[in-house]
Amino acid sequence: MKQPITVLAPTGTLGYGFGTAAFERGMSLNPGVIAVDAGSTDPGPHYLGSGETLVSRLCMKRELTQLILAGCKAKIPVIVGSAGGSGSRAHVDWTVAIVREIAREHGLHPRLAWIYADIPFDRVRAAIRAGEVNDFEAGCDLAEKDVDEAVSIVAQMGHEPICAALDQGADVIIAGRACDDSTIAAYPIWRGADLGLAIHMGKILECGAFSAEPFAMDVMLGTIHDDHFVLEPGSLERRASVKSVAAHSLYEREHPYVQAGPGHELDLGGCTFTGLGDRRVRVDGARARATSDYFVKLEGVRRIGYRSISIAGIRCPTMISRIGEILEEAKRNTHRYFAPAELQIGFHVYGRDAVMQRLEPARNQVAHELGLTIDVVAADAELAHAACHQLSGALLHWHYPGQYNTAGNLAFPYSPSELDAGPAYEFSVYHLMKAGSPTELFPGHVENL
Amino acid sequence: MAQRTVPLADLADIIRSKNAGPFSITLDILFSDPARYRLVRDSGAVTRETVAEAYGIAAQEITSFFHVDMANAIKITLRRPRTQGAFGESDVYGCQQHVPLLGIAVPVA
Repeated sequence: MKQPITVLAPTGTLGYGFGTAAFERGMSLNPGVIAVDAGSTDPGPHYLGSGETLVSRLCMKRELTQLILAGCKAKIPVIVGSAGGSGSRAHVDWTVAIVREIAREHGLHPRLAWIYADIPFDRVRAAIRAGEVNDFEAGCDLAEKDVDEAVSIVAQMGHEPICAALDQGADVIIAGRACDDSTIAAYPIWRGADLGLAIHMGKILECGAFSAEPFAMDVMLGTIHDDHFVLEPGSLERRASVKSVAAHSLYEREHPYVQAGPGHELDLGGCTFTGLGDRRVRVDGARARATSDYFVKLEGVRRIGYRSISIAGIRCPTMISRIGEILEEAKRNTHRYFAPAELQIGFHVYGRDAVMQRLEPARNQVAHELGLTIDVVAADAELAHAACHQLSGALLHWHYPGQYNTAGNLAFPYSPSELDAGPAYEFSVYHLMKAGSPTELFPGHVENL
Repeated sequence: MAQRTVPLADLADIIRSKNAGPFSITLDILFSDPARYRLVRDSGAVTRETVAEAYGIAAQEITSFFHVDMANAIKITLRRPRTQGAFGESDVYGCQQHVPLLGIAVPVA
């Protein structure tokens, strides 16, 4: 690596916003690339299952426009990872369509690359039969039945498919599901930076200015040298400190020192953080080693049914004092009413233990009012709606001993009192699969717009 | 004379919870002041056992417990009560599960 390379990460999740002044200032520091993460499993299984995107088209287009205009002007690549939220084909295609529209509207002609991360189900079945799928954290082996039931399966790509697009001269790269760190690290690695430093810098920058103080979805820059990197927020109103950066190294992960990624393992045990002036931090010491086999992390979801919910408040102290037994009996009655149809019925009782459930140490404190969410999942939307309404109606008019108010037990904020939430999903695949090569599973496409 | 104690919230600067993937919740306790970090680390007040007790769970449900000297931090990870987003989910991001840590009593001289 001849010269230091600066990466500008505009925000922690593309579509969640960043400061325009911070972005302009960041661009004035002559970054070599704009790279940003656009997804995660963190918002839950819905996006991979439904194909709906995490952020709105309006926000995505607004922010992508800023990035692409700036990237074209500075003649530097723009890289988006985990496009659309889940990084599935539907999400990549959606993002690519927005890029085409932006290019058309602004008379730009970038070389556009897009990379899919969907894994054909037969490929996963073959890997299961070959004994090349291992549990990651799901606590169980992956069975072919899990694959049969899946709606969608993606894998997290490493930096290699993105580097392949850079090899082909891409100016804008829309990558499907990618390891967050790798999205940010790809360009410096492609330019010859040390793998461990680049991945560690990626790990910090993928959250934008969450590693700064005050933290925010905002611009963060990292400059990678031969043996260290330096972090600096885009906004002069933020600073990177040893505390903020060290704290961020722990964020959202179990092991503080050892972190596995596609084809590599990162060791942060020897890291040091040193303040440079008021706003910058120097980071030394990350080491990466390539693993002997190249494993990628699969993420897949299955549909568990269709959901309807009802939201209500409860203010009467006599109802509050009996809430547990009333909910249980009403639930049993609803199951009986709709038998033999199968229903999943749950309650969130806000003011008692809705947030922490069995981890709640204060559940026996008596609240003056409770919020209730009735949650019903059934095989089809009509049944879910019917059961949710039957249950909310039963609770509304429930009779119990010592009741003063015979007019109704639930204060509904909405009419209708039931909201249909559509299909519901859950994670069913979260396993490691051996790949034949780092790029085998991630087909790339390139086109001059 | 009884040992004087202060709640952990009076010593730490950041106490937070967050998903670490869909199957775990990780708890971070961070200190600006290395002396306070060492005080808590060495006090015996924050251990697998005391954290389990604060959450009303068995100590085996805590999958890892680290003193992270380079970050003046204590990091504890629990198996998630249910897979993130599965039926019955109460906290998709796992970001409101930190509260039992706030009141852990730390003995001070």
